[in-house]
Amino acid sequence: MSKLVLKFQDSILKEVPVSISEVSIGRSPENVLVIDNPAVSHYHARVFNEEGRLMLEDFGSMNGTFVNGQRVKMVTLKHGDSVAIGKHTIVVADSPDSGFGFAPAAGPKAAAPKINETVMLDTKERRAFLQKVASVGESAQVAPSRTKVATLVVRKGKTDQREYTLTDKLTVIGKSAMATVKLRGWFAPKSAAQINRREDNSFYVGAADKVPSVNGVAIAHPAKLSSGDVIAVAGIELEFVLRD
Amino acid sequence: MEMEYGARSDTGRVRENNEDSFRTAPELNLYILCDGMGGQASGEVASRLAADTILAHCREGASNPALPLVGDSLVGAAEFSNRLASAVRLANRAVHETAKKNSGHSGMGATVVAVWLLDDRLALAHVGDSRAYRLRNGELEQLTDDHSFIAEQVRQGMMTEEEAGNSNLQNVLLRALGIEAEVEPDVDEHLLMEGDTILLCSDGLTRELSDAQIAGILKDNEDPQEAADHLINAANRAGGGDNITVIVLRQANRLEGAFARIGRWFKGSEGQS
Repeated sequence: MSKLVLKFQDSILKEVPVSISEVSIGRSPENVLVIDNPAVSHYHARVFNEEGRLMLEDFGSMNGTFVNGQRVKMVTLKHGDSVAIGKHTIVVADSPDSGFGFAPAAGPKAAAPKINETVMLDTKERRAFLQKVASVGESAQVAPSRTKVATLVVRKGKTDQREYTLTDKLTVIGKSAMATVKLRGWFAPKSAAQINRREDNSFYVGAADKVPSVNGVAIAHPAKLSSGDVIAVAGIELEFVLRD
Repeated sequence: MEMEYGARSDTGRVRENNEDSFRTAPELNLYILCDGMGGQASGEVASRLAADTILAHCREGASNPALPLVGDSLVGAAEFSNRLASAVRLANRAVHETAKKNSGHSGMGATVVAVWLLDDRLALAHVGDSRAYRLRNGELEQLTDDHSFIAEQVRQGMMTEEEAGNSNLQNVLLRALGIEAEVEPDVDEHLLMEGDTILLCSDGLTRELSDAQIAGILKDNEDPQEAADHLINAANRAGGGDNITVIVLRQANRLEGAFARIGRWFKGSEGQS
């Protein structure tokens, strides 16, 4: 694996390995290699792997990037090259064993893909894996949960029904026409909350302006409901029950 | 709910061509994004074909509800969710058939993430690792589960999130359009609330930017087109290793809080330029 050695005059400041992803260089703290110096642009340059070669690209920086004294835009780097950015120097050090850090794929037998390119898992592996997942799913979801019916039971407050069966992908709690659980009352919000059904699970997502809670505990993300959970929203209380 | 949108697609800094496609049909409130894969620009063919097929089928279905659905009707799903699912299945067949007939396009495929809005309801369908996010109350929530080998292993408990983050195989998919004769999309419905922002994006965005960075840009840019442009630029600055496509959706003519309006009235700035 190659590494970049950042130097200022004769002191070594930092060493960065160039592995599968790239090394961005610049003044901004978002970069992999940060050089905090006014002569360096926020996003100055980058070093990356391309098909076995180490490449350097200047991002159109103000003061330029120089390799072995020459100003460059995009160039191949080799062991020993000296890259000058502002008043700093970056020396390219190759390790003797490999050109770049692609580990041989542990799973699929295909050759290592180009950086970031999306590929399908090999057909045989894919089908075998998906079957394995499906059978794990089948056995984990013991028969009872498949035949259980998800319901909301009104424990407190005014609604149009005492109980609601959750069968739709989306169940809305509110006053609007599209609400399944219809709230009564002058100040009831149009849409207070929603419950999503996804693969036999129910997820509760609360209103934008009120902090939603399950069992009295505020939730920040969609919460998966378990039998017995109580949702309090817009003055009503609903208990989520899995019935046989 | 009337939506404003901003959309942009960029080749990025590394790829030779752009194999992402997107389609916006604001008159229908339908937005589609596809990321193609396959050698020699087949990816472009796949993503365009997928996006066009989905758009055409949804358009036809909207004007002719009696148009038969491709595949089984989904239980508990609204009509337009079913239509969107049908469109995705049709797109899979189209890409699959085209790949079979052209040896040059053999093995080509595409991801898709699409949203269709009707009143306050949002139908969301996806296949692959292109994503949909919702920004609500300053919080960014990923609405889709990636159909990738690594993500599935994490979901099954075979791998930790940390191991996933370090994996070399993050780009390996389990599901895509065009690969098998039939494919089933994930379909969800969501309630749209005032102030929500919806983001559709290809993995070129999320491979370069963190969720926090994405949320920051969405929050800093009120205008959806500006938000889209800034997202692309930030992803490119961070490396631009892949094609980047984003669609940002926001409610048009958002109702401001009553207090904000009253405040402006007192200041006398209402109606002035």
